[in-house]
Amino acid sequence: MIEDTQIGKIVDIDKKGVINLPIGHFVIVNSKHRLSNLYPKLSIYGLGSCIALILCDYVHNICGMSHILLPKTTKKIIKYPHKFANLSAKLLMQELINHGAKRDNIKAIIVGGSRIFDLDDNIMGFDNIGSIKEELNKLKIEIIKEDTGGSKGRIVIFDSKDFSLYFKSTGQNDFNKFTNSK
Amino acid sequence: MKRNNNNDKQPGEFKLTPEQIDTLKELGNIGSGHAITALSKLLNNEIEVSLTSADIIPFWKVPELFDTPNVEVFGIYSKIPFNSDLSIIQIFTKESLVNLINLLNTNDKVFIENIRNIEDLDDFSISIITEIGNILTGHYASALADILSTQLIPNVPIVALDTLNAMLNGIIAKYSQLSDYLVLIKTKIALPEIKLNCIMCFIPCMNILKNLFKILNIKYNMNL
Repeated sequence: MIEDTQIGKIVDIDKKGVINLPIGHFVIVNSKHRLSNLYPKLSIYGLGSCIALILCDYVHNICGMSHILLPKTTKKIIKYPHKFANLSAKLLMQELINHGAKRDNIKAIIVGGSRIFDLDDNIMGFDNIGSIKEELNKLKIEIIKEDTGGSKGRIVIFDSKDFSLYFKSTGQNDFNKFTNSK
Repeated sequence: MKRNNNNDKQPGEFKLTPEQIDTLKELGNIGSGHAITALSKLLNNEIEVSLTSADIIPFWKVPELFDTPNVEVFGIYSKIPFNSDLSIIQIFTKESLVNLINLLNTNDKVFIENIRNIEDLDDFSISIITEIGNILTGHYASALADILSTQLIPNVPIVALDTLNAMLNGIIAKYSQLSDYLVLIKTKIALPEIKLNCIMCFIPCMNILKNLFKILNIKYNMNL
């Protein structure tokens, strides 16, 4: 896995064509600028309180995903901005636009924010969901699919070939599939 | 005693000297040693302890410290209230903990095939697991407290059955709000006769480290 000079940006994929996205990292897939014919699958395993944010421009075939850990930060100097929901949403959107996406076309999918350990003060997942929805609302980006909350970890796989989302909670046998019908 | 020259550090980054890492390993050995002695007494069996490892790593690399972070395991998590909290989590393979429950509860056997979710465990099994957590964490914390000349009283442990990766999210989130680095001290425990495999992890907050090093007279210079 190679990181771009921009900290947290993944630019390399493994032999199976899967990009496993660590916490605080992001990836953009731009069909126009692909170097090979591979359409990578973007995956996150072990999504607990973290949020997987996927932004898509279905018209221009550009998508991106980030792996968010925390709701907000007010710090100015951040090495891994995609750690934070309030920064990742707008930065990921901007990255898509830089790659040719049109702001009005961009849609969002959010997965995660569960509470694995059942403690009353364990509200990290809950806060993450609230924060990402607030940010997407501010940016006027519609959330077309959401699988959030609950008490189980999740696996998320986004296939950049046809923009299908596969998601599954711990304890489930099969993946659920979501494809945007529009 | 060396002094760190930290002029070249980024915000949110800190470094530990090899001496400090060794100190943390030793701390983990002491803590887990106490915990395992107590568990041995309960089980009436010798428990193998591997060496403790102490790592300071970027938050996103924490899953890499474990061999199989995406396999379902039992996690017993305790928060220890302190200036900014410490965490102790014990990770048991599914098989291990079921074996342990069956060892301690000879009346109703638990069958691993029936356990898909934490809800599949009956109350008595959960109370056995909680008690194991109490024993391990309690003894680990009391050993630390002795060294630090303070009180460290863990909260009641909480059990979860999920992938280690998912369980760690919340802990990583908590300890990397202000820093991009976490310190994780882990000790592997094994009891081959009952196929017990457990990893005890201790994640200290920065204040604990500061107190510890101060107390142990090692000079440091952290830039948080």
